[in-house]
Amino acid sequence: MNAAACTVALIGRPNAGKSSLFNAVTGGHAKVGNFPGITVELLDAKVKLPSGEHLELVDLPGVYTVEGEADPHSDEGHARRFLELAQKATQPLVIAQVIDATQLELGLRLTLELRRRGVPVVLIATQHDALVQQGFELDARTLEEGLGVTVLATNARHAGLQQKVLELLGDAWRQRRTPPTGDLDVHALASKVLIPRIDAKEAFARVRRRTERLDAVLLHPVLGPAIFLGLMTALFAAVFFISEPFTALIDLTNQALGTRIEGWLGTGWLSSLLVDGVLGGAGTVLAFLPQIVTLTIVMELIDASGYLARGTFLVDRLLRFAGLGGRSFVPLLTAHACAIPAINSARIIRDPGQRLRTILVLPLMTCSARIPTYGLLITTFFADHSAWFKGALFVGLYFAGIVAGFIASLVLGRTVKSTAQQRPLVLEMPPYRMPQAPVVGRVAWRSAKRFVKDVGSVILIAAVVLWALLTVPGPGDTHSAPPGASPRVVAMHGSVAASVGRLLEPVTRPAGFDWRLNVGLIGSFGARELMVGTMGVIFGIEGGEDDTAPLGERLREAKTSTGAPAYGPATALALMAFFVLACQCMSTLAAVRRETRSWRWPLFVLGYTYVAAWVVSVIVFQVASAAGL
Amino acid sequence: MTSLDLLPPQRSAAITELRLAPAEATWLRAIGLCEGVRVTLLRGAPLGGPLHVRLSTGAELAVDRELARYVEVDAPTDEVPA
Repeated sequence: MNAAACTVALIGRPNAGKSSLFNAVTGGHAKVGNFPGITVELLDAKVKLPSGEHLELVDLPGVYTVEGEADPHSDEGHARRFLELAQKATQPLVIAQVIDATQLELGLRLTLELRRRGVPVVLIATQHDALVQQGFELDARTLEEGLGVTVLATNARHAGLQQKVLELLGDAWRQRRTPPTGDLDVHALASKVLIPRIDAKEAFARVRRRTERLDAVLLHPVLGPAIFLGLMTALFAAVFFISEPFTALIDLTNQALGTRIEGWLGTGWLSSLLVDGVLGGAGTVLAFLPQIVTLTIVMELIDASGYLARGTFLVDRLLRFAGLGGRSFVPLLTAHACAIPAINSARIIRDPGQRLRTILVLPLMTCSARIPTYGLLITTFFADHSAWFKGALFVGLYFAGIVAGFIASLVLGRTVKSTAQQRPLVLEMPPYRMPQAPVVGRVAWRSAKRFVKDVGSVILIAAVVLWALLTVPGPGDTHSAPPGASPRVVAMHGSVAASVGRLLEPVTRPAGFDWRLNVGLIGSFGARELMVGTMGVIFGIEGGEDDTAPLGERLREAKTSTGAPAYGPATALALMAFFVLACQCMSTLAAVRRETRSWRWPLFVLGYTYVAAWVVSVIVFQVASAAGL
Repeated sequence: MTSLDLLPPQRSAAITELRLAPAEATWLRAIGLCEGVRVTLLRGAPLGGPLHVRLSTGAELAVDRELARYVEVDAPTDEVPA
């Protein structure tokens, strides 16, 4: 690919519509760029100008200011560092500020700061449609004259947007005109360039009334928190209920494929590798794709609608009580999909102590990788209960994660010292907006693609390795095999994996876990999804040749060496408790390492979550067993 | 002369002074809370949570109640339409 003619840094206040614009201009084809001297990942895309040259477009984190003090590890710090380095680089730099036309005056303060940097600046005013709805029009020409900076007034939904922005950036690069650096009265300028239309007052009041009406309910002192709690519950329940039929369908397909393969290949090792290893391992995990996509869509809707800021407003007090803060809310919510982007998004927290504490408790939030295990255990061991009971148990696990996070934060508050004074919350409350279907669709598609890719790569390889470790005969004790077991099952009982699993039994027996679950726990040490994958492999082999029963049924019917049922609801509850707490995710630990720039904190997370997981699962198993479950 | 946290709901006043460390004051000004801007108190979050305010520039902010004690405002009036 050709070298870029120039770097374009896309900058703007949070909520200015920067990401929508970046997506529209790049067509969603961005990659995560690596920039020397910048420790965080920035989205980066090469775009082609009509004249043939390429520009490198970099999406910087949202900032309010690029002057004054900033913590170098916060979003603001990273954006500033990028600008400083890019200004020193040989490749010319153009700063493109995205500004919300309905918040012009606030955005123009940032423009003044950017002008002072002495590099070409262009202004892209988005939300022009919202401005018109409010009864105003932006006089871009007068704004250009006032600032000495080229201005484009547009909307993210505008059809010819990509073309227009590319022309604007191309001109800015060719002309390399540096703007004046002097100060000016932004209030006067904003009033001058916002031209009221005839119906301005009425239109403005109408738009404002809509947000006011929604806020009157959603931020009501009693109704607000109740609705918030209800929404969260509905979100988690939706993940369980909406996707169940789809998951069952994928499960059935897997079984049909398995029977087909055995029909073609017989029952040799190749068939076992494909059916037990690939389908049982990776295929079983793939069945949870609908849950993960559902979760992503709902989270995106919360974000795009403007409700996220309302949630922050409502829970700030509660989070502060737990030693966190309103700004921890976005990372905490994001962590319910995946802890890794959540750890990255903790950069919006300006207080270093609060940021660290948030990062350390994020792995306790219920990420989507736990869904397969929860789904399997609930539908298997609580099959006789009503759908509502199962749904409630599923939702309860989510809340268990949140409560665990609060407790951990309270305990950490006494051990992890805050390095600076608490920075109080100041947060923009954007007006409510209708989420855009294409954007939501793109986010959902990306999450589906990533999940399928993970299952197809890491999880597939791990499942095959586990299959090998379970099939290749080892020096282990084969006496634990149930009487009359097939040679393959006997071999599995003597395999390397089984031996290691059995070695751990003295530690895990108080929690009700036998060697098979231990192998699952070892398998899921690196990634949680592998728990279900490993179970699929083990019970696929145990099921034998002509058994195509679903994994759940095989788990229920699993026997100990004495022929007694191996697991019951008490085991399931203990295992779920283990999954609520343990940080079984190498990628999360790597993210903690990257963000805290030390090995100390990822090791700390690993240690405290595993110890807590073991203690709590033992208590749960003992109590549940005593209660006769 | 009073501070933002004492502003009655639905009343408005202009910011006169930020009694904060310079770095923190700079940041607040960048967000939009600067001297001369009129603020209307819309509501407070339950249990002593943050305040929901509207600025004369059109933006709405959630502001920590404790922080609001250090934002000085002039005599409260009814909200002046933008």
